[in-house]
Amino acid sequence: MQQFDDKIDRVLSMAPYCQAPDERQAGLLEILKEELDYACQRHAGYKNYIQHWPLDYRSAGQIADLPYLPVGMLKANPPLSFVDLGQIKRTLTSSATTSQVPSRVVLDLPTTRRMTKGTAIILRDFIGPARRPYLVVDTPGLMGNGNALGARGAAIQGVQPFASATTYCLGLNDQGDLTLDRDKLREFAKDRQDTELLVYGFTFILWNHLVKPLMAEGICLNLPKARILHSGGWKRLQDQAVEKTLFNEQLARVVGCSTDRIVDFYGMVESVGVIYPDCPEGNKHAPGFGDVIVRNPLTLEPVAAGETGIVQVCSVLPTSFPGNLLLTEDVAKVVAYDGCLCGRRGISFRFAGRIPKAELRGCGNLQINRSPVN
Amino acid sequence: MTDLTQNISSPAEISGAAMKLRQAVMTTEITPNEVMAVFDSWARSLDSRELDDMPGIVFLRMWLRRGTLEPIITRELGSNGLHGGWTEYGRAKCKAFPLGVVGHWPAGNVEIQPLLSMTCALLGGNAALVRIPSGLVDLTRCLMGKLVQSDPGEILTRRIFMAAFEHGRQDLHEAMARAVDGAMIWGGEEAVLQVRALPFPHWAKLAVFGPRISVAAMDAGAWGNPQERESWCLRIARDVWQFDQQACSSPQVLFLEKGNGQSTAEFLPILRRAFETENKAHPRQTIPAGLTSAICQARASWLLKDTAHQAFFPSGPDWTLLLGSGSDLPQPIQGKTLTVLEVDNLLDPVSKFDGNVQTLGLGMADPEKERELALLAGRKGVDRIVKLGRMHVFVPPWDGVDLVRPMVRMVRHVCSKD
Repeated sequence: MQQFDDKIDRVLSMAPYCQAPDERQAGLLEILKEELDYACQRHAGYKNYIQHWPLDYRSAGQIADLPYLPVGMLKANPPLSFVDLGQIKRTLTSSATTSQVPSRVVLDLPTTRRMTKGTAIILRDFIGPARRPYLVVDTPGLMGNGNALGARGAAIQGVQPFASATTYCLGLNDQGDLTLDRDKLREFAKDRQDTELLVYGFTFILWNHLVKPLMAEGICLNLPKARILHSGGWKRLQDQAVEKTLFNEQLARVVGCSTDRIVDFYGMVESVGVIYPDCPEGNKHAPGFGDVIVRNPLTLEPVAAGETGIVQVCSVLPTSFPGNLLLTEDVAKVVAYDGCLCGRRGISFRFAGRIPKAELRGCGNLQINRSPVN
Repeated sequence: MTDLTQNISSPAEISGAAMKLRQAVMTTEITPNEVMAVFDSWARSLDSRELDDMPGIVFLRMWLRRGTLEPIITRELGSNGLHGGWTEYGRAKCKAFPLGVVGHWPAGNVEIQPLLSMTCALLGGNAALVRIPSGLVDLTRCLMGKLVQSDPGEILTRRIFMAAFEHGRQDLHEAMARAVDGAMIWGGEEAVLQVRALPFPHWAKLAVFGPRISVAAMDAGAWGNPQERESWCLRIARDVWQFDQQACSSPQVLFLEKGNGQSTAEFLPILRRAFETENKAHPRQTIPAGLTSAICQARASWLLKDTAHQAFFPSGPDWTLLLGSGSDLPQPIQGKTLTVLEVDNLLDPVSKFDGNVQTLGLGMADPEKERELALLAGRKGVDRIVKLGRMHVFVPPWDGVDLVRPMVRMVRHVCSKD
């Protein structure tokens, strides 16, 4: 374990978006194979899965040939784990927007450390290294729940290394609903027209609990140097027909900054430590310690540039659970395999939504144990 | 050329079409013989290379043959049913009369189902008002074009109206239901429940072919026979491939009875080769991403759950064999995912059937055991017990009911003069 721990640290110490795709592929492939070896030693069921893969991972010539796990497998309870119970430092849970059943991932100390480092490295590339006042559009309660941390808490924590001081501007009312604490917000914004600031919130929370109330009251915070980060996806805003352009315009208006200071990033609890912010070209990129493969649903082979398919995320960071090669339930379009105008190397892609949930079809669409005949 | 498939946008179009159809039924009576004459001609016109790749076309051609339909009519409508005559039963005689206009709600996953359903009603002398699922409009239009060419006298075509409209148009579904005297409803649970709840007239007769699953089973004498293994495996693969394993008659699980000290280790690679062969012959052209995801999940879930579990699958989502033991029915996955389970006794899984199993496809070397299984399966709600490789052969009774008779009225006449 120490052997590939050092290798992961070496990859983490490199600039995240500078390596040519082939060079990156070779380095990651070696580590991922070692991680698979390790995982097979640690979990008999996982080993059984890996052993049945049509191609032997030890002879794989590219990351795309390695066995991947559908992300739904991380909904198992107890969670799939490669470490002993005593080594688990934290359990992260996903927001479970679609399925109602959350994913659970267990983090040991090395994975936690790498996760924090990975997120910071990526964010630094997008927003610079400086620490600045940090406004969290959420409640502080998300962070204080023992060893368990939800998706929102994990994302808030991921931005924390860039904070000089943190202010939470939402609270809970008697019914347990989120409410905007206007006093705290006013306090945070006071005399900061010329200050570099950070604002973070889940996309739907920013809209419902910051943009909408401030718009209704005609308030502008006048923070032209705020950098706004948001994540969590658009699903919960679909009902309100809120799309990215409208969201950015209205958010920029209430904060008092330009829309190019808003960065939407994609991240999933199951792939801790890797986030995918939009670059100025509107694309997403994989950092040097991970990769993204977009697979054709018909063949599961990687698609050509310009094509759309199922997203697989790859990361060398997690070693406490099977999160390094995950087939997600998201769809994306590959823009190019290299050469994005923003200068970041490797794949550039754009998300195109969630995979519609598979339902049994036709006259054979029967769930067992549901029909009480006989 | 008349286009029998119309894109519908208003309830009035449906009620207008139904009125014309009813008039056609009222003014002329047609016998099954006359219907079959047109079907024969239609079957010939479908026998062309350009149509060979159409899903279900081979089956449709076979179904439309007189040789297939005559015995069905005779059995369901009586010995004189072919000519539309009265059949004597002691002092009484009976004759089939059409219900009138029969509405059809076929499932969207079986390409030729709109046509199969329609033929059942036409054989009973009815008119057919068929709702075409959106995904089947082009194919249906093409095949119905051949019927138009085969029926210059409009014997059948003036009794047919194919209505293409979106699944979500409740107003059009309701208009259709109000206009019919009978209905044949096919499909999954949600679809069937929605259609059954439509405002049909109180006299309308409904034939419902709802969601079921099917099961394959073999005894050791069959799967262990080196001379027959390959042929059995090809039959199983064929049953799995048709209708992309989405039909109620598609096997979702294969139970293999242990015995004779033989190991299934020799049988399973042959089954795997059969799946590879079938896949090569009939590769998928398209797949919803959600199904691909579900297949990947099923593979992972199966192998993670139990280290005794095995599986065969290629790198794509083309097909999957999940291997283990146990007599419980597994959750169906579809997408050519067959669970193969070893059992000590085939009676064990069959005794657990709960009415959800439509077809039991069998490969048995022991006829006595097969009789025992058939009896138990019938008691446990199975409606069809057939040989493997013939699980989709569309011969009534289907789902335990006839296909033509439910859409006719059997009129009984007892002569008033002694």
